[in-house]
Amino acid sequence: MDKYSRATIREFMSPSNIGHIDKPSGVGRITDNADAVELTLFVSVDAGHITDAKYRIAGCTALIATLSVLSKELPGKTIDEALALDMSYLSGLLDGLPESKWRCAGYAVQALHLAIEDYQIKGEATAG
Amino acid sequence: MRRVVYLDNAATTPVDPAVLEEMKPFFTERFANPMTYTHSSSGDVAHVAVEEARVRVASLIGSKPEQVVFTSGGTESDNWVLKGTVERASRERLHKPGHLVTAEFEHHAILHSALALQRQGYEVTFVKVGRSGIVDPDDVRRAMRPTTVLVSIMHANNEIGTVQPIADIARVAHDCGALMHTDAVQTVAHIPVDVNALGVDFLSVSAHKFNGPKGVGVLFVRDQTALYPFIDGGGQEWGLRGSTHNVPGIVGLGKAAQLGKERLPGELKRLTALRNMLFDKLSARIDRIVVNGDMKQRVPQNLNIRIEGIDNEPLLLAMNEAGIIAAGGSACNAQETLASHVLTSIGCDLKEAKSSIRLSFGYATTEKDVDYAADVIPGLVRFLRSMA
Repeated sequence: MDKYSRATIREFMSPSNIGHIDKPSGVGRITDNADAVELTLFVSVDAGHITDAKYRIAGCTALIATLSVLSKELPGKTIDEALALDMSYLSGLLDGLPESKWRCAGYAVQALHLAIEDYQIKGEATAG
Repeated sequence: MRRVVYLDNAATTPVDPAVLEEMKPFFTERFANPMTYTHSSSGDVAHVAVEEARVRVASLIGSKPEQVVFTSGGTESDNWVLKGTVERASRERLHKPGHLVTAEFEHHAILHSALALQRQGYEVTFVKVGRSGIVDPDDVRRAMRPTTVLVSIMHANNEIGTVQPIADIARVAHDCGALMHTDAVQTVAHIPVDVNALGVDFLSVSAHKFNGPKGVGVLFVRDQTALYPFIDGGGQEWGLRGSTHNVPGIVGLGKAAQLGKERLPGELKRLTALRNMLFDKLSARIDRIVVNGDMKQRVPQNLNIRIEGIDNEPLLLAMNEAGIIAAGGSACNAQETLASHVLTSIGCDLKEAKSSIRLSFGYATTEKDVDYAADVIPGLVRFLRSMA
């Protein structure tokens, strides 16, 4: 059965870290009309560690809940540790997301990768 | 106690207490098989009850009792009429694969039956439907062929509630020598349904959509020779539909039909007023809200709205948390992550379809329910929009 856990519903009904960061180190944006998703994830990075993560989201319950737990996991992590966060780990934090929702919830991980890529490109540009 | 406001009556309705009372003895002391009535007085009790139910349904839809054939529900009735007529006419009259005309926004009971026929080599045309959610009889006329056996267009759409010009479409079908069927699952006992005024040859009914039990329905059959039996077995239902009668279910359907007929004029007015009141309140409190499909040519119990900038899935879950039960697409495909085929067939894009919800009313719906929904839903929409 494709039913959400209570943990997912609770997370979605009071999501953490909705918002934006004024001068983010990196931004990941995803728009998908077929999935009715519009997502922007902002991260701040300081001395190789993520210090803050916020997002704006129009999308499904699974994606909102996943972004919420992801945004709470990120602060304090190195870039490599952040990149290691995957759907199977995030789903576990929500007491298991229905498998049919993994694809859409996966936009959270994709957005994180895009934000880190953006941060790294900016870093190279500054270094260059 | 947690408040529950049930606005998903298009999916199913609760069994009316009077219906349940009438059914109860037929599970226990009046359990006999109605087919034994010729030699058993117990069987006769069941037989009389089944026949009384038949009369009650006939009275609700304006048919003769002997044109009412009991089935297991709307889906069976739809499967039967499509397959039974097309197969029979193809084999016995046309001697080649016949043709079926239906519409893109039909219930899956029709669409999937039509696709099953298509897989077997029969021909099917799916007529397109415009933004209004109303089939144009001229589009049906253009789809007709010399081999068209049956036209099947639903009386009211299950998701957007739009009522179709069935009498006009039936004239088109008959002009071309075809039979006419309508799936009236969403209209029977909600708006006046008269098989003769509609000019249909077949009509599908489902008991649980008007406070009857699940698992029982009717196919109105004007001419029994126009279709093959659906279930071969004993001689039940004139040999058209074998299987021991679901006596409690049929009795419940009969009672629901009787109550439905009595209540119809009052409920038609009451639910129309409640529905319009909810829309007026919601549209005063939520911006960028649009009705899907024609608002006037619509069954009273249906409101289908599109709320820009939200996904219906989290909205429905948040509404559920607040005790309001509603629907996105139809209940039958609630588990699909795809957007409603009904909404995309009337020209909504995927994003629009996924931002739509169906609120459907029933006999138990009160003005307080509507007030509660109108108070709660706008806050939930603001909550979701505030994340974007």
